[in-house]
Amino acid sequence: MTVNLDDLRELLLSVEKPSRYTGGEYGFPELKASPFDFCICFPDLYEVGMSNLGIKIVAESFLERGYTADFCFTPYTDFGEGIKKLGVPLYSLGLKKPLKEFDMLGFSMQFELSYTNLLYMLDLAEIPLTRKERKSGKYPLIAIGGPCAVNPEPLADFVDIVFVGDGERVDADVAEIYVKCGGATEKFFYEISRLDGVYVPALSNKVKKACVRDLDGEVFPERFAVPNCESVHDRAVIEVMRGCYRGCRFCQAGFIYRPVRPRSIDTLTRQACSLIKNTGYDEVSLNSLSTGDYPDLRGLIKTLKKNLPDGVTLALPSLRVDSFDGEFAQDARRVSLTFAPEAGSQRLRDVINKDVTEEEILKAVQSAFDTGYSAVKLYFMLGLPTETDEDLEGIGKICALIRNCYKSKKRGKQLRISVSCSTFIPKPFTPFQWERQASDEDIKAKQQKLIDGLRGKGVTLNWSDGFTAKLEAVLARGDRRLGEVIRLAYLNGCKFDGWDKELSREGWNKAFESAGISPDEYTREFGEDEVLPWDFIDIGVTKKFLLSERHKAYGGKVTGSCLSSCKGCGLQKDCPVAHRGIDCTR
Amino acid sequence: MIAFRYTKTDGAEYLSHLDLLRHIDRTLRRAGIKVKMSEGFHPHPKIFMNNPLGLGIKSTAEYCTVEADFGGDFKKAFNQNSPNGVKCVGFKIVDENPNYAYTIESCGYTAEVVTPFDTAEYLSREQIIITDKRGRTVDIRPRIYSLEFKDGKLHFTLGCGENNLRPDLLCEILNPLCGEAKNITKIFAQGKYTDLR
Repeated sequence: MTVNLDDLRELLLSVEKPSRYTGGEYGFPELKASPFDFCICFPDLYEVGMSNLGIKIVAESFLERGYTADFCFTPYTDFGEGIKKLGVPLYSLGLKKPLKEFDMLGFSMQFELSYTNLLYMLDLAEIPLTRKERKSGKYPLIAIGGPCAVNPEPLADFVDIVFVGDGERVDADVAEIYVKCGGATEKFFYEISRLDGVYVPALSNKVKKACVRDLDGEVFPERFAVPNCESVHDRAVIEVMRGCYRGCRFCQAGFIYRPVRPRSIDTLTRQACSLIKNTGYDEVSLNSLSTGDYPDLRGLIKTLKKNLPDGVTLALPSLRVDSFDGEFAQDARRVSLTFAPEAGSQRLRDVINKDVTEEEILKAVQSAFDTGYSAVKLYFMLGLPTETDEDLEGIGKICALIRNCYKSKKRGKQLRISVSCSTFIPKPFTPFQWERQASDEDIKAKQQKLIDGLRGKGVTLNWSDGFTAKLEAVLARGDRRLGEVIRLAYLNGCKFDGWDKELSREGWNKAFESAGISPDEYTREFGEDEVLPWDFIDIGVTKKFLLSERHKAYGGKVTGSCLSSCKGCGLQKDCPVAHRGIDCTR
Repeated sequence: MIAFRYTKTDGAEYLSHLDLLRHIDRTLRRAGIKVKMSEGFHPHPKIFMNNPLGLGIKSTAEYCTVEADFGGDFKKAFNQNSPNGVKCVGFKIVDENPNYAYTIESCGYTAEVVTPFDTAEYLSREQIIITDKRGRTVDIRPRIYSLEFKDGKLHFTLGCGENNLRPDLLCEILNPLCGEAKNITKIFAQGKYTDLR
């Protein structure tokens, strides 16, 4: 059975951006009957999901082996309610096939506030939410992957398979075993539970993350489907490297994506050129957690410029202040530059191992102003461990110094400074995984202090909502008991929790209450000898290393970048940088 | 300059005008057809489209002009690189910009309706007054150029440009006579430069 768009005409005409739901994108892979039908589900809107590189890589890994890889994104509530009323089950974009007819649905979990959207999509697809309820019928396997999979326990009730780590190989390996076993048999689950990177909640097996050693040899899409309506990052994307050398102590990505694996200049140039040719985009984004740390960024940029057609611009997001160079940014035709000092004082920056000095920040903005930038956006975090009022005052001081720096020369435009403050969230597999999260009241007080401190200084201040931050912390650090809370919250109407205007505080509060669980249990400080809900996952970085980093944080000691010396995080054996140095001119 | 006629069907009828413009730009880029850029502070590609088609209305008669030099088979190059449903059906190399947004005078449509009705009687009315969304009363009779049943479908021609009437609006007005209209499709446009093969 497939869904006919003409039957949905009236609904499509009544919703916002109907082309989210119609498919037909240029570059969408041609799908045909295959021994294994996989649909990648993204628990966020079309224009967010279409910008995600990870799901494109995973899809390519299935196509490469002759399997189907279709896509489905969360419909906005107007369309979601609409198909529910019409009795049309949620369908895939390419084949227009109901999700419930696929062999496996793979949800890419990018952040905790999309958990209820997973349930929303299952519900719209007419698939029972929990594994237990699905036992009695023929339903697709429900799998999750992505960064949230490093602590999958809060979602354990809903999913059959969890993919932990790199998705280049193991996801499609599971499909192969499924075909071999003739379906989701006991043997199938047993066999896949023995693979690196596969956790089967029903078996509660221990799992080591999947890790590819050399990205150059791995699958990467030559073409992207060009979205029907503008996506959030509507451009070609190459991943210059995976992982980050820095080890900022609050940053989950900095630990779970270790070791750092750069792609070679040759590979990146080839990928960029074919993407530009096959998509018609005029911009390539050089993505990674810290692109400035790419071993030969100058060489890469030079080679890309030489080989890409005229008029194609390069975007370099995620530049650290200490690697910013006016030269890099000239291409971007932008007026605003974003930096993330994360903390206002040197003391606190040392605590979090940010390894950036005030001098470096000022040097970077100076260089940016001299190349024509007239706006700076600064990211800070509130509620970091050991934070004091003095650290908050530091934020205002940095803004004043930046202003002076701008005024030191005569410049055409007026300077704009905007400060964004998010709330610190202790995440699994970071040295701060044991920390308590500052209470809602504490955060509110800190925000107020900041508002007062920055008033009249010509700084635009944004801050994040405290409730959302708390929810994110609870879901990130949760255990299996939280499944019931998530289920109840969804039944109370919670979805799109990351959106201010959709978030239902009441729905969540009621869910915690009915389940008899206090969210405070999960935002408290965890004991160092406690068994943590995610301890059964081997992410490569040892708990001992994380603990020593935590203790160094309290001593205000900086560990610094892996490039200066190997810090012995536990991945020395697999890390191409640790002992041999790196070479990307292969 | 290349003038071409193309379709907006198979789901592409839900693309907004702005997105469609972006897709034509990218299609040409992928096809290796270099479109001239306008001059000024914010250069944009010189692509000139006909008036926007209402969302959800299919068409086999959209028109567009691009300022570019291209010696090869434009239709083939375009169609190999365009999204589903946006396909070139004819083109011509022209010296002068046909300016479709201004020169198309009327457009022909078909629609599938539930029950036939007396179209001659309808057209014999001197005035057909409706109230538009802004609450103004308008006589739409002068904007309806033809209306008839042929091959089981309702065929109609409506004014375009100054004398514009939306086909989906007419179908809504006719709803009490013929029931809900489906598959409203623009099948031709009349103007000086619309004969492209």
